[in-house]
Amino acid sequence: MIVNILVGIGIALFGFALQTSIGGINRKIVGRLQKRHGPRWYQEFIDIFKLLSKRGISHGWIYDFGVIMALGGIIATAMFMPLTVDIVAFKQFDNFFIFVYLLAVGMLGMAMSASGSGNPWASIGVMRALTTMLAYEVPFLIVALTIINVSDSSSLTAIQAFQQTAGNNWFIIALPLGGLVGVLSLMGMLGKKPFETYIAPAEIASGPMVEYGGKQLGMLFILHEISVFIEVSLFVHLFLGGASNIFIFLIKYFTVYTVVNLISNVNGRFKIDQVVKFFYKWPLLLAIIQAFIAIYLGWVI
Amino acid sequence: MNSMNNIERVKEIVEKVAKVRKFEQIDKFQIAFEIEKNDVHQTLSALKLAGWKQLSYLSAIDWIETSKFELVYVLFNWDEALYIQIRAMIEREAAEMNSIISIFPGAKYYEREAHEFFGINFPGNPDYHKQLILENWDDIPPLRKDFDPSVYSDRKFPKREYSVDYSVKDPENKSFEKIKEREKRALSLRTGGQKK
Amino acid sequence: MKSTKFTPVPLTKAETDKKWWEIGDFFRRNSLWLLMYCTGCCAIELPPAMTSAYDMERLGMGPMATPRQADILLVSGYLSLKTLRRLIYTYEQMSEPRYVVALGSCPINGGIYHDSHAVINQLDQYIPVDVYVAGCMPNTEAVMNGFVDLMDQIKHKRANGWKKYHENYSWYKANQITSLGEVDVHDEFHE
Repeated sequence: MIVNILVGIGIALFGFALQTSIGGINRKIVGRLQKRHGPRWYQEFIDIFKLLSKRGISHGWIYDFGVIMALGGIIATAMFMPLTVDIVAFKQFDNFFIFVYLLAVGMLGMAMSASGSGNPWASIGVMRALTTMLAYEVPFLIVALTIINVSDSSSLTAIQAFQQTAGNNWFIIALPLGGLVGVLSLMGMLGKKPFETYIAPAEIASGPMVEYGGKQLGMLFILHEISVFIEVSLFVHLFLGGASNIFIFLIKYFTVYTVVNLISNVNGRFKIDQVVKFFYKWPLLLAIIQAFIAIYLGWVI
Repeated sequence: MNSMNNIERVKEIVEKVAKVRKFEQIDKFQIAFEIEKNDVHQTLSALKLAGWKQLSYLSAIDWIETSKFELVYVLFNWDEALYIQIRAMIEREAAEMNSIISIFPGAKYYEREAHEFFGINFPGNPDYHKQLILENWDDIPPLRKDFDPSVYSDRKFPKREYSVDYSVKDPENKSFEKIKEREKRALSLRTGGQKK
Repeated sequence: MKSTKFTPVPLTKAETDKKWWEIGDFFRRNSLWLLMYCTGCCAIELPPAMTSAYDMERLGMGPMATPRQADILLVSGYLSLKTLRRLIYTYEQMSEPRYVVALGSCPINGGIYHDSHAVINQLDQYIPVDVYVAGCMPNTEAVMNGFVDLMDQIKHKRANGWKKYHENYSWYKANQITSLGEVDVHDEFHE
């Protein structure tokens, strides 16, 4: 049991280090895209440690507790995440629904803490974040349920194994419409550009994070990195056939995050009602068509 | 419609309701009428009916020699290319002008501004005396000609003191020649390093 | 024979604090986030400094949305009385350590507005300024050089304007009150 917990914490730390480095590399890539030199690849680490070294202020008990609760929730979620078919902290407990439920703890902690700061921008940001969540969760869950139905299991390891045994038949190829929905939902989850509505620095002054500075903001950055790790790995395991060893996982992870980031950087920002309308129009339609084709007609490529 | 006809038409409208003391055509698209203070409201409503339905600006000029304020109302028409200025002289002491917010509600803020910068009162405007741009102003209104901004600035804001060593105009200064030399070089560089 | 055994030299609390502070300084000077208070015309020098011409991000700098998150308060240009009130409000919201960089000649001695009734003359009378970049307006190389100077000051522990603000708080407050009358912001749109 103790070994399992240690492995879990190791996975969470690994996820943090991995996503922070890849985030830094991606900042460099975006810099090159914009004909700039770009920052150093370890810039994100410097940012986070700098924030932790600054003096923060408190806006009350709820504000402080919410941050810690969110960070704890997200680390707990990351502990269940399988890296490959073999590296998984708690066997039998890597169920897809665990992530859906536990991710909400992090989100709610952040919402609680941001509302506790009392800034109106924070409330608007939290409201927008929850609305965006409501928008992308529906099509994403329909596709995920289709995958679970096809592979007859909701365990991430089993889904990976299912894709790998059938001659590397990844679900992004087997269910092409679902794969498209998956990419769009992933962009919504990561808060990438067209769906960046709840951060919107020029509009609502970075939304939920508006009152954070110093240590609390540093913890929020760590939280963000780990939650990005969870979401991208979820995508890799569900759609890209998981990974049989750690190097394949790294390659897939890097590719997914970079592609999403590149798409994000040539886009503008939607308004919040446009986000909801978009997700409830095309991705939802595609997801339902995909579910119908895959479950009732049984046409899986 | 050609603009000469337009100007004639406006002249007729204004002369019908007010006594024009002076007419001035500034250019092809701008004309100005100077009228009595009491005729301003009638003129503005007549022009509003005729199509000049936007008040572009309300400003004031301080004629300190004749002890008058001149109020200038600038009207704009969305259909015809003609600005109309309505000018009216008011007394400088205890300056007062009835508000025009019943004709142009947007004038509320222009009147507050004019009150703040010139001290003109606008009875009829419920909050003309509230502060708008200046905060906690403690002197006479700053755009009056008898207000000296430099004295006010010296009184309120600390100035940076420079020691005399930095002065380049002092001929006794030893660095003077060096500076001359540097200027010469800068001039030569300006021609791309080529000698003329 | 000399012993190869490692014997740790016990450090006093002050020495340990100093070591930690130096480590913190490394992170702080390599990740400076700006709060751009674009008051005047010098703000036009910031777009080239941020984009591909000079690329501020390679030094780890970048714009931030709110005062709580930022490290540098960047005053670009002249400050009217009304702006100064909001500037002090903003400065006091920032989390420490915080630095102030002032661009242009207006915050230094008033510049071309030195005799205006609405523009203050010397910014460092009201809040501590770490780096001044002179010029009307300074060109972008000068602005970048100002930031590099600030990094150098942080490295050599000379950028302690925020400490000065704590130590001489009553002096700064007195100056603010002589020039502003009242420092708190009151207007009809906030009440």
